[in-house]
Amino acid sequence: MRVRVRFEKNGIMRYVGHLDLMRFFQKAVKRANLPIRYSEGFNPHQIMSFAAPLGVGLTSAGEYMDIDLKEEVPTSVGLSALNENMVEGLAITGFRYLPDDAEKCMSAVTAASYIVTYKDNKDDACYIENICDLKEKFFDEAANINIVKKTKKGERELDLKPLIYRFDIEVKDGVPVYDLLLSSGSTDNIKPELVIKAFHQFLGLPEFDDLSLDIRRIDMFTGEPANFVSLGAIGDEH
Amino acid sequence: MKKLALPDDILMQIDKPARYIGNEFNSVNKNPADVDIRFAMCFPDVYEVGMSHLGIAILYDMLNKRQDTYCERVYSPWPDLHNLMKERNIPLFALESQDAIKDFDFIGMTLQYEMCYTNILQILDLAGVALESKDRENNDPIVVVGGPCATNPEPIADFIDIAYVGEGETSYGPLLDLYKGHKAKGFDRAAFLREASHIPGIYVPSLYEVSYNEDGTIASFGPIYDDVPKTVVRQVVTDMNASSYPTKMLIPFVRAIQDRVVLEIQRGCIRGCRFCQAGMIYRPNREKSVEVLKAQAKELLASTGHEEISLSSLSSSDYHALGELMDFLIDDCLSEGVNVSLPSLRIDAFSLDVMSKVQDVRKSSITFAPEAGSQRMRNVINKGLTVEDIIGGATLAFKGGWNKVKFYFMLGLPTETDEDMKAIPRLANDVAAAYYETVPKEQRQGRCQITISTSFFVPKPFTPFQWAPMYEAGEYLRRAKVVNDEMKAQLNQKSLKYNWHHSDVTVLEGVFARGDRKLCPAILDAYKSGCFFDAWGEYFDFDKWLAAFEKNNISIDFYAYRQRDLDEILPWDFIDCHVTKEFLKREWNNAMAGKVTPNCKMGCSGCGSKALGSGVCHNAR
Repeated sequence: MRVRVRFEKNGIMRYVGHLDLMRFFQKAVKRANLPIRYSEGFNPHQIMSFAAPLGVGLTSAGEYMDIDLKEEVPTSVGLSALNENMVEGLAITGFRYLPDDAEKCMSAVTAASYIVTYKDNKDDACYIENICDLKEKFFDEAANINIVKKTKKGERELDLKPLIYRFDIEVKDGVPVYDLLLSSGSTDNIKPELVIKAFHQFLGLPEFDDLSLDIRRIDMFTGEPANFVSLGAIGDEH
Repeated sequence: MKKLALPDDILMQIDKPARYIGNEFNSVNKNPADVDIRFAMCFPDVYEVGMSHLGIAILYDMLNKRQDTYCERVYSPWPDLHNLMKERNIPLFALESQDAIKDFDFIGMTLQYEMCYTNILQILDLAGVALESKDRENNDPIVVVGGPCATNPEPIADFIDIAYVGEGETSYGPLLDLYKGHKAKGFDRAAFLREASHIPGIYVPSLYEVSYNEDGTIASFGPIYDDVPKTVVRQVVTDMNASSYPTKMLIPFVRAIQDRVVLEIQRGCIRGCRFCQAGMIYRPNREKSVEVLKAQAKELLASTGHEEISLSSLSSSDYHALGELMDFLIDDCLSEGVNVSLPSLRIDAFSLDVMSKVQDVRKSSITFAPEAGSQRMRNVINKGLTVEDIIGGATLAFKGGWNKVKFYFMLGLPTETDEDMKAIPRLANDVAAAYYETVPKEQRQGRCQITISTSFFVPKPFTPFQWAPMYEAGEYLRRAKVVNDEMKAQLNQKSLKYNWHHSDVTVLEGVFARGDRKLCPAILDAYKSGCFFDAWGEYFDFDKWLAAFEKNNISIDFYAYRQRDLDEILPWDFIDCHVTKEFLKREWNNAMAGKVTPNCKMGCSGCGSKALGSGVCHNAR
């Protein structure tokens, strides 16, 4: 039976990369004594898969991994057993049994939401007073947002507009805070940096530095834009 | 949220930032206000190497069991971070609290290999602690080193306050108690170090003076004060079962070299190979009971969640209950998705049977370490492995389905001739021939693969070869070429592959291994000219070392290439390693005569360690 585990990655854990985090969870599941299923073959490994990897430097309130258990463990027991084996910055917030036909979290993801702001409140963007109006021109009123995306194979033209499902700004203490919902997953995976970079270009701001942004993933979703469902809403607690 | 010593922009631009944030599962966090002693335990190499070291894990656990002590970890910042810390004046910090270690009571470093000596200076430099002991003041940390290289601490004598000679489990308690007493009454560095020198195993270099003969050899070596012991006695754990061993081990985020439970099954070795320092200084061979090991294995697997367990010892095949232990591990652990990884075992029917249960035979290889190619040479080094053992073991392995063999040899051993060198590829050829004789054509999956690796022999203190000369770098390469040319002349050469090491670093290792205090200024100059991470090929700069040697009148010839007289005062003679100098001389003479000495289980050869009253010397035979 498959379980979807939801967790948060906060604070200093932002500096731990995806592969290192996967290895951490393999050991944590083992320490927690969960009856995880192993693959067949000479080098059996735990049947465990993660939704879209989170880049180094980002935090998240909504990360997911699916694990396959040999026998049922009550949700409350699974939650506490895993939480006892976390470190500061990691917390397990969900433990739900998936229906048999549920898609794996890795392939199910179609969108992700983010809150993005600036690490340094002196970023050029903080001095644009009518930034919210300009945002409407950039996003709400635009028919398309064409950018050049660098890929492994070279550069390609891309229209961001249909891949951005929400782009809101709220200015808090003079600093813009973006609320984004972006296409995610194996096709058309849009990173928040890319969207903010396009916005900076629209604003005519000078050279943009990815590292100036403080990015927090809020949740991941499956389904179509009209009816996105949180990955964490699928399945039941037992 | 936990504070970090490094700012976000640095962490985001360096390689593997998770090396520097601490926060590992099972790491110990205490409130610094609740303790009397803050101890920074350092492995002076990069995080992934240092986190793999068992000795640090044992001491970290042991020191933190003391309520009055908070032991934290430090590793060498990689050069990318080193440069940024220097640029921005960020002091070196401990991983747990992220506090600057300059304010700690102790900085302890383990010296596992000579090539880390400049990294000691890097640690002190980044910490903001004076590089030389004479320049440190009362509120500076006490710099203490341990580990195998502390059995000849003289090349780094100027940089350290204390060398702890021997196994850490015994004298750290008294040392910390003494420190606490001194701290309580107003700390005076000189008074503390003087009294510390009375504790067994504690060597304070500044309390000893050396005079030299005209030829540079030592004329006299002794304490400056009457109350300071003339001889420092190496510390040895006498009861391995009762000795402190961690029940938890830290789980690094960045993958460490040893990403598994490491279970120490015994200390010391019965074999007495004459080149091997560990085989001498860790005498006597002391085993843990199989009951203790079973309990430790279970507990460590549960507390770490590791999916692999590896046995650690100098020669696991000699452990008395290896069969019982392996059966337990295979039956109890394999079923739970845990792998057992095998240390270098003697290849025989037993070990092959075990290996076939835990490894994929087609993918894995079997390993032999004959160390020398000819029987004559193996007798000189007292490696009790015969051609029959090797061919027989390999044949059994081929029958069991293996077709990959790895061989480890040394070049440049005392008395080695070209014939001895040529015997190396010939032996490999014979093993390949055994494959083609053993395995019928239709069952072969291509050729067998025999890999030969040679390293260059470096004479080490407290071994029977401590008097032996080394060769110049060019001569080592000539020897490697003799092996390579002979390999190409072999019938089965297409099944053989040969790897050899660089030779410059070998020479430098040889200088440090048997060096004296006169090397200190040269090491300091080398560091100042940019040498560090010398153990890493990409950072090793031999020319800078040569310049530092020249500036300080250091002759490589004197330290490395010279045949030492058996009666010369050696820089490490003031240390009592329990193995007597008479025994080492006897063994040197046996080597020159090509005479084999029996191992400790066959009979006692009177090395001197029996006086410790424990281990194999006192087991019923």
